[in-house]
Amino acid sequence: MRIESNLKWHILLILALFISLMPIVFAVSTSFKELSEAYSNVLGIIPDKPTLSNYLRIFQELPLNKITFNTLVVAATVTIFKVITSVMAAYAFVYFDFKGKNLLYFILISTIFIPFTMTMIPNYLIISQIGLRNNIMGVILPQLSDATGIFLIRQAMRSIPMPLIEAARLEAAGNFQIMANIVLPLVKPAVISTGIMFFINSWNEYVWPVLILKDTTNYTLPLALQLFVSSEGGTDFCLAMAVSVVTMIIPLGLYLIFQKYIINTFTSSGVKG
Amino acid sequence: MKKKFGNKDVWIAYGLILPALLVFAIFMFYPFFYTVYLSFFDWNMIKPVKEFIGLANYKALFADPLMPLVIKNTVEYILILLVLNCVAPYVLAFVLSFVIKRGRGFYKGAFFLPSVISLVVGSILYLWVLNPVSGPAAILAEFLGINIPIWSKTQGLVIVVLSIITTWKIFGYNFIVIFGGVSGVPQEIIEAAKIDNVPLYKIFFDIVLPMSSATGVYIFIMTIVQGLQYVFTPVKVVTQGGPDNASSNIIYNIYQEGFVFYHTGYASAMSIVAMVLFIVLLVIEFRYVEKGIYYEN
Amino acid sequence: MKEIVFENVCKKYGKNLIIDNLNFTIKSGERLILLGASGCGKSTTLRMIAGLEDITSGNLYMNGKRVNDISSGKRNISMVFQNYALYPHMTVADNIIYGLKVQNIAKAEISSRLKAAVEMLELGGLENRKPKDLSGGQRQRVALARAVVKRSELLLLDEPLSNLDAQLRVHARKELVKIHQTYKQTFIYVTHDQVEAMTIGDRVAILDKGRLQVIDTPSNVYNKPANIFTAKFIGSPGMNIFAAAYADHFLKIGKQSVKLPEFWSAYIGKRNCREFYLGIRPEHIFLQNEKRKNSFVGVVKYVEEYGSHCGIYFDLEGHEVVASGTNTALKPGTNIYFTLDSARMHVFDKESKKNIGYPEVCYDNVYQYQSV
Repeated sequence: MRIESNLKWHILLILALFISLMPIVFAVSTSFKELSEAYSNVLGIIPDKPTLSNYLRIFQELPLNKITFNTLVVAATVTIFKVITSVMAAYAFVYFDFKGKNLLYFILISTIFIPFTMTMIPNYLIISQIGLRNNIMGVILPQLSDATGIFLIRQAMRSIPMPLIEAARLEAAGNFQIMANIVLPLVKPAVISTGIMFFINSWNEYVWPVLILKDTTNYTLPLALQLFVSSEGGTDFCLAMAVSVVTMIIPLGLYLIFQKYIINTFTSSGVKG
Repeated sequence: MKKKFGNKDVWIAYGLILPALLVFAIFMFYPFFYTVYLSFFDWNMIKPVKEFIGLANYKALFADPLMPLVIKNTVEYILILLVLNCVAPYVLAFVLSFVIKRGRGFYKGAFFLPSVISLVVGSILYLWVLNPVSGPAAILAEFLGINIPIWSKTQGLVIVVLSIITTWKIFGYNFIVIFGGVSGVPQEIIEAAKIDNVPLYKIFFDIVLPMSSATGVYIFIMTIVQGLQYVFTPVKVVTQGGPDNASSNIIYNIYQEGFVFYHTGYASAMSIVAMVLFIVLLVIEFRYVEKGIYYEN
Repeated sequence: MKEIVFENVCKKYGKNLIIDNLNFTIKSGERLILLGASGCGKSTTLRMIAGLEDITSGNLYMNGKRVNDISSGKRNISMVFQNYALYPHMTVADNIIYGLKVQNIAKAEISSRLKAAVEMLELGGLENRKPKDLSGGQRQRVALARAVVKRSELLLLDEPLSNLDAQLRVHARKELVKIHQTYKQTFIYVTHDQVEAMTIGDRVAILDKGRLQVIDTPSNVYNKPANIFTAKFIGSPGMNIFAAAYADHFLKIGKQSVKLPEFWSAYIGKRNCREFYLGIRPEHIFLQNEKRKNSFVGVVKYVEEYGSHCGIYFDLEGHEVVASGTNTALKPGTNIYFTLDSARMHVFDKESKKNIGYPEVCYDNVYQYQSV
């Protein structure tokens, strides 16, 4: 009886998974098909005549090396800065008492809920004014800190038993030593997964770069991808899928490597203040 | 009030927060208020002089014949999104935490996977999968004798497709966070209910939902915030607002007014209306949700 | 060696007064126990000494120097935390020497101290394990080793044995005393376990609701409790306390009265105590088979078996009293006759609840049992 009802649920779950993961499988498969086969053998997962021509073409038609490099620079810089600023701020919020602490934390965290449209025009003006439009620096600059990061890392730090910190303080360890020797090693999983998420999100970022970047050579991958889509219906899906695969391979790889960390961090993040 | 560090070290604390605070001040707080300011001006981003026009932008906005449609689209989109990304993952998280016993780790990992992929990729994937003529979904549907309508030319369906695309992106994250909240309900409580032969749906509504409501509310808000932000990408990539603005929503409209037509003040006013709309939605839903919980109890 | 002085020390959390005007001195090199029920303020007191809690008002001195504003790291103290606070990501050896490394002590010195501590606490072979791979007893010894290698003059212990099972605890108590005898630090030890307090302490300070009830040697705390709280708190079961009166050489409990020996009559008479609380420990009640002259009578309620002896609970004029005995066959409802060991009687003032003291013959070396 119990097994039977579980089986029912499993079938349902597998079906849901199928729906959510199949598009990815189709994308990979189509990217290795010739255009004619893409339309004649739509459901075939393994191409009849596998080809790399789509990949060769996209690297010919676009400065894709440069674009990938741009994406990497943006994602890496944003990630490093977000992690550092988040760890610093979280440390202050957890291990110090100071005037206005709770209010400040509340204000910082509430920025998570501000719609992007409330800030995009003035930010565009700021970036234009300092001459960083059409420059990946302009993409990076407004993203050097992140309230979600402060939130997640603070949660992780709060789960370290206070006596550990007190024991270190009794040993006359200073803030820097406590941070480096005790706190950081213990919140490492949270820092890694938050960092990976920063990297992936920045890698995938579209809305802000599309406002800032104008020239193809300055593009990031998601912007390049859009070049292959034509709203008039003339999209070459084989090329589009090849760029899609190039775009998602890094995030997917990172996710598969750090999956346990990431899932645990978001599962335990909870909302307990 | 445990003693933490000495008072003289307080400046260190401020110093640690400063970098984050600086970024937020320049690229979050200042722009927020500047948007409010700009909404009272007529400006095109280039003119050296901004012309103060009071509430004229807001008046024009409400007089705009397109506005009702845009707002209707936005609300419809959000409602579909909430069903797909709050209700569905909640049920899924419940099933995963308390009903099935095997494969938890696998399901969690697999359901989260799409949320690490770019929304532009997602848009293209669905453009292909849901292609009414040659897409895999159409071909599968054909076996069942169903025709996929040409959704990109059909008013209501466009919004459904947009919702599906953003759902694909948001679902995994929502699911994982809700799973965290739901699995935080002690297993003994569920076991006690099972011993009393309480049916599953009652366990869900009477025990799990109230006990994980903090996470639920958080996800509810995040779905609206993220959903409004994310929808820009598929609209821009897939439909460009068409057909006849049928898929345009307030976020895409703000982009168009601001960065295509350079109606900076007007776009700012619209941003504020969008935020107010967002807050109103929250308040209405909270009332409703709160009543629902009261009723259940 | 460190002497610690509390001078009018108070601690408030918001409006809650946690520590109410502490005044006492911890002598250099002694083993002082802070004893009390949970929430009495004993841990807070220890944490104030460690510098982990602010002092709301009053002064705390170490070796004559006011330390209220000195940070913990500069107080040169070691502490063993209740859950040991071992760093989960460090090996046993790294846990033990972390503090020494922070203080930039020479490598040779560190390794010799590590070796001594590992040897003393029998941690040989475990140096490279992580805390999660240790048993509870091993973790506790690592925590002790970490506190010992610092060679500080003050060792604070916050319920260090509370997570050990009963057998390990007996062994650990001996170990603690051995450590003290080796290094002769000032030892401040928080516990709620009176056996630990009695066996480890040179002196015991008992706290209740943030107030110091008594500070004295274990023997005095047990045998000459300064007030009713202490009398009831120490001993298991605690001391029997009931209202009694004195009139004309007679001790009156409810409707019953017996003649008091002369030394008590004189002592009480001189202090003009008419009504007071009488205290008597269970083992100082002598049960008899039949009624005698000078014996009280009670009604048996129930008997608790302890193995070596039993506790006989009976009603005496509306007070529940417990006596130590061996006769487990006593039936509830039957009469029981007993006398009190007059040299082990305690008299507490009715108002202040303080012990009025003892006539000279009590606790005299030549003291002999005398029944009331």
